[in-house]
Amino acid sequence: MGDNQQLDVLIAVYLIPDLAQQDFDAYTKLAGDGEIVTDGVALVVKDAEGEVQVQETGDHLGRKGAKAGAGVGLVIGLFAPPLLAATVVGGAVGGLAGKFARHRLQAGIGDKLDDALPPGSAGIIAIYEHDGADAVAGALTNAIRTSTAQIDKASAAELKAGLKEASAGLAG
Amino acid sequence: MADVGIDRSSLPIRRPPFAGATKRTFAGSVPDWDQAVHVQPPEGAPNVLLVLIDDAGFGNPSTFGGPIQTPNYTRLGENGLRYNRFHVTALCSPTRAALLTGRNHHRVGFGMVGEYSGPFPGYNATLPRDCAPFPRILQENGYLTGGFGKWHLTPDNQQGFSGPFDRWPTRLGFDYFWGFLGGEAGQYDPLIAENQKIVGVPEAKNGEPYYFQDDLADKTIDWLHRIRSEKQKTPWFAYVATGCSHAPHHVPRKWSDKYRGVFDQGWDVMREETFARQKALGVVPADAELPPRNDAFPRWESLDETHKRLYARQMEVYAGYSENADWNIGRIIDAIDEMGELENTVVIWIWGDNGASMEGTLTGTFNEMTTLNGLPLTPEQQMGLLFKHGGLEAWGDEQLAPHYSAGWAWAGNTPFDWGKQVASHLGGTRNPLVVHWPGGIGDAGAVRGHYTHVTDVGATILDLAGIPMPDSIDGVAQQPFDGATFADSFSDAAAPERHTQQYYEILGNRAMYKDGWLFCQRLQRIPWSLDPEALRQFGPGWDPDADPIELYYLPDDFTQSKNLAAEHPEKVRELGELFWAEAERNHVLPLLGGLSSFFGMVPPIPEESKFVYRGDIQNIPSGMIPRIYNHSYTISADLVVPEGGAEGVIVAEADHLGGFALFVQDGKLKHTYSMLGVFEYTQAAEQPLPTGEVNVELVFTADAPKPATGGEVTLLVNAKPVASGRMEHTVPGRFSGYSGMDIGRDNGLVVDRSYADKAPFAFTGQIKQVVFDVAPHLSEEDASALHEHAAQALAAHAASA
Repeated sequence: MGDNQQLDVLIAVYLIPDLAQQDFDAYTKLAGDGEIVTDGVALVVKDAEGEVQVQETGDHLGRKGAKAGAGVGLVIGLFAPPLLAATVVGGAVGGLAGKFARHRLQAGIGDKLDDALPPGSAGIIAIYEHDGADAVAGALTNAIRTSTAQIDKASAAELKAGLKEASAGLAG
Repeated sequence: MADVGIDRSSLPIRRPPFAGATKRTFAGSVPDWDQAVHVQPPEGAPNVLLVLIDDAGFGNPSTFGGPIQTPNYTRLGENGLRYNRFHVTALCSPTRAALLTGRNHHRVGFGMVGEYSGPFPGYNATLPRDCAPFPRILQENGYLTGGFGKWHLTPDNQQGFSGPFDRWPTRLGFDYFWGFLGGEAGQYDPLIAENQKIVGVPEAKNGEPYYFQDDLADKTIDWLHRIRSEKQKTPWFAYVATGCSHAPHHVPRKWSDKYRGVFDQGWDVMREETFARQKALGVVPADAELPPRNDAFPRWESLDETHKRLYARQMEVYAGYSENADWNIGRIIDAIDEMGELENTVVIWIWGDNGASMEGTLTGTFNEMTTLNGLPLTPEQQMGLLFKHGGLEAWGDEQLAPHYSAGWAWAGNTPFDWGKQVASHLGGTRNPLVVHWPGGIGDAGAVRGHYTHVTDVGATILDLAGIPMPDSIDGVAQQPFDGATFADSFSDAAAPERHTQQYYEILGNRAMYKDGWLFCQRLQRIPWSLDPEALRQFGPGWDPDADPIELYYLPDDFTQSKNLAAEHPEKVRELGELFWAEAERNHVLPLLGGLSSFFGMVPPIPEESKFVYRGDIQNIPSGMIPRIYNHSYTISADLVVPEGGAEGVIVAEADHLGGFALFVQDGKLKHTYSMLGVFEYTQAAEQPLPTGEVNVELVFTADAPKPATGGEVTLLVNAKPVASGRMEHTVPGRFSGYSGMDIGRDNGLVVDRSYADKAPFAFTGQIKQVVFDVAPHLSEEDASALHEHAAQALAAHAASA
């Protein structure tokens, strides 16, 4: 991440989980192709029984799941307990723990997203440099609603505020 | 009573003169046992099962080429007859009124529906005594008669405990009735009427959710078993009208999941595939043409993937819902068969009363009441609210009151255009009919093309039973049927067509049929738009003759595809004039008479503004609750709170998709108001209620007396404010189409889900009385303006019910 770049914190929600997966893939491809600079992305799915899972994560290089390892970045820190206890499909919770610990947030966004998602739906949370906003908007075509907040740097405090703002935007 | 010599021309049938002799003792007295015997139907009269499905189209059931699997309908069709030119009126109550009375719908006051009694003879929703329903004729001639399911012929404001009851089923020819009186019901929480009483919301059993359609079949079968346990030979007549496939589209997932992926190709493809199957089955002539696509409905391919998935799921639920109806009617058929009576039972099964309904708007809706309250929601808002109330997984369950997209209705009416409300087009007026009668049909499996109409059913049944049309009933001279028997077509494919002329009119959409020609004029309004703005063009200055004219010759044009108006101006003129003559003769005038409130003709303002509820009062029908809409009101309750406190509902109307509840939870007074599931507002006291005699009050102070007004809510305990809050938007017309109000509990689905696990959350203290004051501070001018809006809202709701 560049030091002077503003960051966008984005939350997108989906009626259909596999359409969220498509957008997630499009987002990580943008990152992998170098079209956006991202600190990370997570795909959260709430199944028909109401169980929430972090379905997949992506890192700053556009790598997904387990390959991302410790590089998944800030975004994974969005998830406060109890969502943290959920399965990270294809990922290694242990590998994420260090990064997560540094950015453990009390924003409760995990809980909020859990509340916001009905069973059988999905959400994407992503952090990226603001210059990539148009490209991201073009990639997340299946979202039924998105909300974005801007922060100055990838600090816990900034992220917390950004998430709060983005979360509020979802409720509108 | 011996059949010979019975005078059935005047009902009730008088007891025959005593033919015996009486002396001072038995010595010389001669008995006449006919004195003690009830009249019997004519010898050989068959049983009759009349089935009516709701809000469904010609192209829905697989029996007529549709994608919805209806194996029971098909087996009856294959062993009976399929009629492919059978017609209805294009709206719920009007079709039911025409079906049961054998007269045209306006002639019996049902140009509109039972929710709205208008000020003109064709729209007063009050069946006239000189047009008695044919079940009354069967009943008086000795038939055992039972009615089950949807009724929709009792005026909305006459459905309570105080009646009057003369337009309830039991006063119109049914010995027994079980079902619901209004136009719709939630399948999980209907408000049931039994005979002459609202009996409440049924309880779930064995850990399974209650489901109306299953119970409907059970109740019908139970009635058949009971009457046969007592009267082994007397013919019976059973009228079974499903709530399906009317909104809310409710069905357990096991039914809807059978259709996963079936509709992924969308309504345009469904329409074409249905049409091909219809031709293959022979229910549509081989040379028929599919009408050009109607641009009122978006092309499937123009939709984004999310909407395609959403809409596909909507249709999966509708299909499962409809198949469940077929399955349950099949259970009734099986029960009759097991009783050994199918051979002598005439089954007349009509699949739909007005074509499929387009009232879900183009997007479909999570809550049909938003449309019926005239609440415009953008596609984005609809999507957001669906997400909020449970997402796609909830479509079909009790969390939603859903209605599918109008695109599915259009495709469901294949091979015709338009649908419900549109009486000018066959999509609204032509529905499948199957007749099954092993004892009376020779060429089983055939398709009959006789032009028939819903008013013909009564005459046909009387003909089959050998019962004459009476001259008078209860001393009231009876008007003749408008319909004619087609009973001879059961056994004779060449039987003559007797229904050679018929007018159609619903909400200004109109048509005139005569000898194969169909003249029609469709009101230039889409069926899901019914607001003052859309209707303004039909006020003073409107020239109905200037509406676009279409003309078709149906014997050569099964699908109403070739407009011949330009080629046959003389036929246009002839049928146009005939329509006006028929309209006058049948009380169709004034056009749009059921929407008079939109044009300045509103009913008198009710004088009652204070309603007091004492004792155990539950299940007040939704059309009879105090009208707290659009202005200030108060609800006051006198309670006795025992030592240790109390909890539970003081008063609640409807549910989380529209309703309110004043309740005590954790010892504290609370109020929750759901503005149709779009907004929810809650106010809660911080301190517990005191014990002993306590008065609690809710005061809503409206910003202004206007539709959907916002305002301030204050909760008071013993006249001291304990909580307050703002409600930015309120319900303008009606909370629910079926869910009732309860004192001391919240029956059925609850308003505030925080107490759902304790439902019905009965109040544990004592409620001495609850008092509504619905017009505390209205000026005469405001009262008049609001009353006009209320009448319009009711009419708009009614038009879509």
